[in-house]
Parts: sequence; structure tokens; C-alpha cells
Amino acid sequence: MKLIQAEKGKLVFHLGKREEHLLRAVLRHYPLIPAAHQPLSKSIKTTANKADQRLLDEALAEQRKDNQRLLEKLLNDPQRFKETEAGCRLTLSGADVEWLLQVLNDVRIGSWIALGSPDKDLGELEWNEETAPQILAMEMSGNFQMTLLEALQRPGAT
Amino acid sequence: MAQTATPEAVPDIGQEEETRPRSGLEPGFLVICWNDPVNFMDYVTHVFQIVFAWPRQKAEFHMLQVHNQGKSVLARESMEKAEHYVHQLQKYSLHATMERDE
Repeated sequence: MKLIQAEKGKLVFHLGKREEHLLRAVLRHYPLIPAAHQPLSKSIKTTANKADQRLLDEALAEQRKDNQRLLEKLLNDPQRFKETEAGCRLTLSGADVEWLLQVLNDVRIGSWIALGSPDKDLGELEWNEETAPQILAMEMSGNFQMTLLEALQRPGAT
Repeated sequence: MAQTATPEAVPDIGQEEETRPRSGLEPGFLVICWNDPVNFMDYVTHVFQIVFAWPRQKAEFHMLQVHNQGKSVLARESMEKAEHYVHQLQKYSLHATMERDE
């Protein structure tokens, strides 16, 4: 995935056929982080806090639904994923990049949680039939995240 | 935090800014980001820039504090604002919580 144009907040990426396939495969994992996974507070334990926690969980669930809707729309939009001879051109706005970063990071963190939240580098994790899909999803989502973050640094990206 | 890049210099802008004066009547709530071994350093910096509208140097300072010290206090706010910031940070899957400032 390579940035080929950044102009007036519009980003155009070239993806090879295999890269496009991988990106679509990674995005289809979303959402992976279990619902109600994130505590609002580590120390505040009151009835009011329980209600606030419920509101936070609902807000995050709503956010996930919005991101899923945007993702469906993106994956099925031939104007955004334009086929070329060598693969495709993906056109994103700055706002698209923001929610895509959230989606990709959800896949990365969700895969890490599925691995048991190990306190190790990816390279140190044991590969087997059970762990390989999660390790690959972490690696791939991380690569796409870094490409998007680097693209945002380019003049014209925002 | 997963390493991706290290800034060349740490800016001297580390003092916590209080966006509201301390008051005995209204206890403050701290918005804290905790370290984890999985979020990329560049990603955390980017999220801080977006959520708090901070310049890159300040965002990097707090990201490094999370990475090196295990956590960083990002803001001291009223309960409502602290909840808002925690929600924004968790939207990006960062490990963030609010704690009472005692």
C-alpha cells in the first residue's frame, strides 16, 4: 500500500492485488475487541460510576456500529476502490483515515486480547494453528496503520 | 507500547496543564493513559493530537511518559469532561481511565 497522491485532504493509495485482498481480509475481522472490555475507571466504584460505565459501553457500541456501517460502504464502493491493471487505487478523505485507524487498531488490539494479552513482542510469540491467525491479523493491521499514519504527515494530507 | 519511532529530542513542555483551577467545591478528575505493549508509539501520539488538539511535541512528550513511566496524566477536568475524553481515547482503543484527583 503506497501513497501516490495527497492533495487538499484527499489521499490516494495504490494497492497491489494481494495487498487489496489482505486489507479487505483484515477489515472484515472488525470489530474484535469484546464489548464492555474497557473500564471507565480503575478506582472509582460507586453506583453512579456503574451507570456511567453502562453509558460508556453503549457509546462505544454505537461507535462500532457507525464504523461498521462506514466500512461496509467503503468496501462496496467501486469509486473508492478503483480497479487498475496492477491492483487498485483507494481514495480516502482525512475523516476516512481517522475511522479506519480506529478500525485497524481494534483488529490489532482485539487479536492481541484473543492471544491472551501477552507482554511480548510479536516476534517472540509462539506460532501454531491457534495463534497464527491472530499474529497475522496484528501484523497486517499494524502495517496498514503505519502506512496511514505516515500518509497523514505528507503535505496536502490534511 | 510497541515501538515504532523515537523522537530525536524530548521537548521541555512536560508540566501538566490544568484546564480548570483547582477548587475545594468541585473535585477534579484525572484523565490517565496507561501503558500497554501493543499500541504503536506513533499511533498514541496521533490520538493525543486529535483528541486534545495538542501540537505534536506535547503529544510525543505524553506518549513517552506513558511508555517510560507506565502512565501519563493527560488532563484534570470536571467529571463530564473527563468522561468525554476517556470515551474519545477508548474509541481509538487506548487504555485510558478517569480517576479522582485526591
